[in-house]
Amino acid sequence: MMRQPAARVVIWAIVLFDLLFLALPTAVIVVASFTAGNVIAFPPEGLSLRWYHALLGERAFSAALWRSVWVAIVCTAVSLPAGTLAAIALARYRIRHATAIQIYLLLPFIVPLIVSGLGLMLIFGWLRWLGQLWPVGLAACIINLPFMIWAVAASVNNLDPELGNAAANCGAPPLAAFFTVTLPAVTPGVITGGLLMFILALNEFIVSLLLVDARIVTLPVLMYNSIRAIITPDLAALSVVYIVIALVSIWLLDRLVGLEIFLKSK
Amino acid sequence: MAEGRRPTALGRWEVWRRRLWPERALPLSPWLLLLPALLLTSSLAAALVVIGESSLHLLDRATFRLGEAYSLGNYAELLQRPVYLRIIGRTALAAAIVTAITVALAIPYGYLMVRTAGAGLRKLLLIGLFLPFFLGQVIRAYGWLIVLGKHGLLNAGLTGLGLPDVALIYTYPGVLIGLVQYMLPFAVLLLAPAFTAIPEELELASMSLGGRAWPTFWHIVLPLAKPGWIAAGVVVFTLTMTDFAMPEMMGGGGNDFIANAIYDGFFQLSDAGLGSALAIVLTALGTLAVAVVFTAIGVGTLGYIQSGSAGAAR
Repeated sequence: MMRQPAARVVIWAIVLFDLLFLALPTAVIVVASFTAGNVIAFPPEGLSLRWYHALLGERAFSAALWRSVWVAIVCTAVSLPAGTLAAIALARYRIRHATAIQIYLLLPFIVPLIVSGLGLMLIFGWLRWLGQLWPVGLAACIINLPFMIWAVAASVNNLDPELGNAAANCGAPPLAAFFTVTLPAVTPGVITGGLLMFILALNEFIVSLLLVDARIVTLPVLMYNSIRAIITPDLAALSVVYIVIALVSIWLLDRLVGLEIFLKSK
Repeated sequence: MAEGRRPTALGRWEVWRRRLWPERALPLSPWLLLLPALLLTSSLAAALVVIGESSLHLLDRATFRLGEAYSLGNYAELLQRPVYLRIIGRTALAAAIVTAITVALAIPYGYLMVRTAGAGLRKLLLIGLFLPFFLGQVIRAYGWLIVLGKHGLLNAGLTGLGLPDVALIYTYPGVLIGLVQYMLPFAVLLLAPAFTAIPEELELASMSLGGRAWPTFWHIVLPLAKPGWIAAGVVVFTLTMTDFAMPEMMGGGGNDFIANAIYDGFFQLSDAGLGSALAIVLTALGTLAVAVVFTAIGVGTLGYIQSGSAGAAR
């Protein structure tokens, strides 16, 4: 289809629009963060680093950033083993009711986030877990776990099932086969899933909004609370921190497994 | 057999494995592997039960707590108040519009990303996708507020051209713009594997037999990419249907979706019963939509494992 000029023009026109559309909010945030003025205006009133400077002096922002990082660490630490083992079980073993289990494990995507958040808020409250940060990380893990299972399952599906049998035939006991054959083979999926879980937890908003109180707001909740009718540039500088983290993650993902992994058919 | 040989680290692990998990337990191994994920997911089943239970209790206006008696009164109230029906209609309409636009915009992007011969272009398209994908809704809504705001980039540009301002901020179309941009990476990432699975030779064959681009796309590429656009459509529809952040931040209070009404039920009306009833309705609507599509057309690229691939010959 790409060989026909008319089709090429249509495809390229839409793709260029998509690229612009996808990049627009990010690009304006970066531009706005360097403004010298007190409000965001176009064209910007000169360039400066004053809003980055202001950011450094604002304790509330850095405290919230570290809280979000901690939440992301808890989320990743719980999801890595849980998601990896589940994906291996689903893809390597014949399990009775495998379809039902797959659907059950998609529950985090079936239950709306607002409902999951409110339900977990009630349950965590009953368990007296509210007011702490680690339950926020646990909740982020619960609602995003399918991403982790997907990432690993894609790797397991690409693994030749005969490899495990070969290891067993060569006398490898089950655990040895697991650690020396299965686990290394799914490493790209584990890395991809781990990075996704970290980033998703770092950005997690609605469930955090329901689970935190004023003392332990995470960064997205703090930003949400700070956005008012007049849009000040300090939040733009703060958003750039997120943009830098996203860029570093993309670079890492590309170096470690290659972004093209997402194009592979299952 | 291996007596006298020093046990390796794995050998020692294996000894423990036999004590804790003897041979006859081995058939249970997959269940042991699934256990953590099942436990984590079960907390959401519990969440649904808790919300469902509280939807069956009416608010006691004297104490502002939920009463003891069971009742379906909250559901009846939802039906009686036109405001909730209006919110449900507004949300469903948004989900339909956003799904149609997003999938239409995602198909060329995913197609070009998979088919292009240029590795550099493919990388650029992937990065263009992942950068917004890795930024949360709050940041993206903030970016859109800067673009669409009264004195934002769009209006500055229009004024520069001598054109009148447009008011998109805090309007329904504004919310939809934010949602389409938020959903586009999800849609492309679910579509791309489906395009990869189509052998390029099929398209070339159609073209060399005199087929033109549009019929080739319509009769060959689109039907074969069905698993991809089903998955993309279902995900975009349900994510839009249940979204909170975009209508909250870009709707200016006048364009609430169901999720916002649930939140307000809990925290503004302090009526957890009514909020829970609406939460159950939202869950049911979302599940129904997904179930209809899945039973009618299948799970598409959404399944964790390729259909029939687990342990089977491939």
